[in-house]
Amino acid sequence: MAVEVNQVAGEPASVSMGFPVTVGWTHAAMAVYSVLRLNTPVNLKMHIEMHSPLLIDFRHHAFSWSTPLEIFPVDAVHTGLETEPTSDAAPPLFELPGQDLDGLLWEMGINSFGGAPAYWLPPDERYRLTRWPNLTQHRHTMQQMQMMAVLGNTFVSTSELAKLTGADESDAQRLINALSLMRILTRTSAAPAAVVVAPTAATKRQSLFGRLRKRLGR
Amino acid sequence: MAEHVILFTGPMGAGKTTAIESLSEIEVVRTEANNSERHIADKPTTTVALDYGEILIGAEEKVRLYGIPGQKRFDFMWAILKKRAKGMILLVNSDAPDPIEEMLSFIEEFRELYDRGGVVIGVSRADVVAGPTLGDYSDALERTNPDMVIPVFTVDPRNRDQMENVLLALIANIEMRAMFGMMTTEAV
Ligand SMILES: Nc1nc2c(ncn2[C@@H]2O[C@H](COP(=O)(O)OP(=O)(O)OP(=O)(O)O)[C@@H](O)[C@H]2O)c(=O)[nH]1
Ligand SMILES: [Mg+2]
Repeated sequence: MAVEVNQVAGEPASVSMGFPVTVGWTHAAMAVYSVLRLNTPVNLKMHIEMHSPLLIDFRHHAFSWSTPLEIFPVDAVHTGLETEPTSDAAPPLFELPGQDLDGLLWEMGINSFGGAPAYWLPPDERYRLTRWPNLTQHRHTMQQMQMMAVLGNTFVSTSELAKLTGADESDAQRLINALSLMRILTRTSAAPAAVVVAPTAATKRQSLFGRLRKRLGR
Repeated sequence: MAEHVILFTGPMGAGKTTAIESLSEIEVVRTEANNSERHIADKPTTTVALDYGEILIGAEEKVRLYGIPGQKRFDFMWAILKKRAKGMILLVNSDAPDPIEEMLSFIEEFRELYDRGGVVIGVSRADVVAGPTLGDYSDALERTNPDMVIPVFTVDPRNRDQMENVLLALIANIEMRAMFGMMTTEAV
């Protein structure tokens, strides 16, 4: 297919596309979100200051990066991003299996948009999980785990999610962004199933989750 | 004393005994005997009665961890246990001949626990054989119960941190389901 290798040097491209100016992982997350929605296979290469290039091969749902996700550089400076059209038959971008792309999408989603809604999420919607992320493989907090238990069982908005779990709204939003980037959320604009009430101190005490978590020092 | 019973189920060699040993604070009561079914799971011993471990929460509360034998001929014990259990961690080894079929047969066997949302799936030995993807497990579960989202994680039962996460996710899910389960089915 006659699509050229496209060199996007940081911010100006997104401005001309009508997006707000973004930096770092926000820009990267938007690129990934777009590529995931293309019908043709495209590889991504991200150039990041002080790090080796980050390579993504979406056909194999894999990425390759010498920086381990355990030390994910939240404030990394992205200097460029290349999209490279490929084909189903073309060889992989790096030696397989590489690393599971979900791990990167999780970190990228949590650490972009500064706790504001991802640009592709319309306002006033409610979300529910279609499946859980593979939590044993992603760094996560107990509060994120609790938010996912909510999302696995009912539709909630970001602010309802925050209220139910006592989380900051920006933390709830970061989680929604990540799960959305991982494509494991379903959305509805319908009214809530029931009035959401914040748990009282008494109900928190009654929660085995809370007591066990404390007991295990988490 | 408040008690919460958590079951560890799954086929032979999935890592049930190992998981309880990772989590328990007391010396695990094991009931291993020589394995006469080496063709199913190639290891010297297998559980023949129940494994038992505990996590104490303060002086007044404990989590009891029970592991069933994976060998099918001991399934008479399952009936009593599933009545008492709050939740179940279903371990499936990725290197079983048909892990998804194994998972579904245990889900069917423990349907009442499953229907009240008290199940988490742990896919073990994924480091030995890649096996089906987590998406494959979720798709199969969705067909048996389309309204429910059952957590499915890869897990190494030898890893305590991972087992604690699996256990906490199970409890979080049970508690949230108790809070919302009724509501979502009515609201649709
Ligand atoms: N490499 C690897 N080994 C594992 C994993 N999980 C369990 N094992 C090993 O597999 C063997 C079987 O584990 P068990 O705990 O005996 O299995 P079980 O489910 O109790 O089996 P039965 O009692 O026979 O039903 C042990 O030697 C474990 O150390 C894993 O994720 N990776
Ligand atoms: Mg055993």
